[in-house]
Amino acid sequence: MSLVSNELLIHGLQYAGYALEGFICLRLVRGGRWRDHKGLCLYVTLLFALDGVARPTVLNYFGWASVQFRYFYWLTDVVLAMGAFLLTCGFFRRACTQEERLWRFVRLMLVFVFALVVAISALALTRHYTQLYTGFIVEFSQNLYFSCLVLNTLLFVMIQQLAIDDDELGLLVCGMGVQFAGEAAGLALYHLTFGEHAVQLVFSLLNPACTLGMLLTWIYAIMKTQEAAPARSQVGKQVVLAEAVSD
Amino acid sequence: MFMAALILILSTGLFFFYLQAVCQKILRRRFTQEFFQSIVNANRLEFPSVRKAIEDFGSPMEYPRLTLTLKCDFLALTYLLKNAANVNQRYTYEERLLIVYFKLVFASLVTRHWLKLRETAAALKLTAILEYFANVVGERVNTVRFGNLTASDYLLNL
Repeated sequence: MSLVSNELLIHGLQYAGYALEGFICLRLVRGGRWRDHKGLCLYVTLLFALDGVARPTVLNYFGWASVQFRYFYWLTDVVLAMGAFLLTCGFFRRACTQEERLWRFVRLMLVFVFALVVAISALALTRHYTQLYTGFIVEFSQNLYFSCLVLNTLLFVMIQQLAIDDDELGLLVCGMGVQFAGEAAGLALYHLTFGEHAVQLVFSLLNPACTLGMLLTWIYAIMKTQEAAPARSQVGKQVVLAEAVSD
Repeated sequence: MFMAALILILSTGLFFFYLQAVCQKILRRRFTQEFFQSIVNANRLEFPSVRKAIEDFGSPMEYPRLTLTLKCDFLALTYLLKNAANVNQRYTYEERLLIVYFKLVFASLVTRHWLKLRETAAALKLTAILEYFANVVGERVNTVRFGNLTASDYLLNL
């Protein structure tokens, strides 16, 4: 594949992702469902604002090779990693709605994991204390993403074990898992091959493709449950009507 | 180096695990009624008999017949998905994903056969996917009416 078609493919995937992010926000706001999905709505808006608007603006202003863009990119990456971590916490809260005691334990565990990630990243900073960005910021965001992947998997197992009847939550967690796992695999491959050209291409394609996978899964989750909700209420109405007639 | 390799293996495994979980969640969709039965009868599909054989005897029919049956049903149902009562004449995203999933599970069935492992779980997954496809086709066909008959009634009365 030529360089131009590769670039086109990468940009196509990215713009499709932005379009889907906008679609999710609009769908939640127009349907009035953003109140039930505050965390999701905030995360998608943040993703769109930082990845779709702020980064390209800074890139156009300062250029690809500039230090400013590099700093801005990694700083926004940390913000997005924090957002992903908080969203995972929100999913845990939703899974533990019926189990207050379990939620107290989970909350402690989440705080502990966050403190552990900060401590491990700070350890890397003490080894190379002059490199705040490569030593701490990059390490911190990577560790946070990986811990999100592990927590997400724990959440998925918890949903199965507790037999929580929330299909939407299950799909949202699966979508997040696809994104985190794909990104972590790409990053590990990149490190193992020392950033070879072919791997660089796979890496730059994998990230937007995984984001697209996550957003499509989320759209399916939101739309199918929205479709199912009136159907269920319709069935409920029919049952009530049948009972009234039989009385 | 070791950590990177470990993360690569773990996250690749998890990536495919989550993809499979998404497919399973889609397959668990509840339909308002069992639409698949009329489609199975009208098109003489055989996957319910494969599932019945597994449930009754604990193992599917002989391997060549099993693969042929599942493949033929898959071809018939994917054709119907695209063309029966489908205004756009296109698969939806979830149907595309499930078609890929079917092919992967089918490949795993073939691999399991060559490795002389049990094929029951893979065969059951394949029948579940086919049932979902038949339900989707049935649901679509059910919305189209020919006079006083639904399309599935019409097909049955041919």
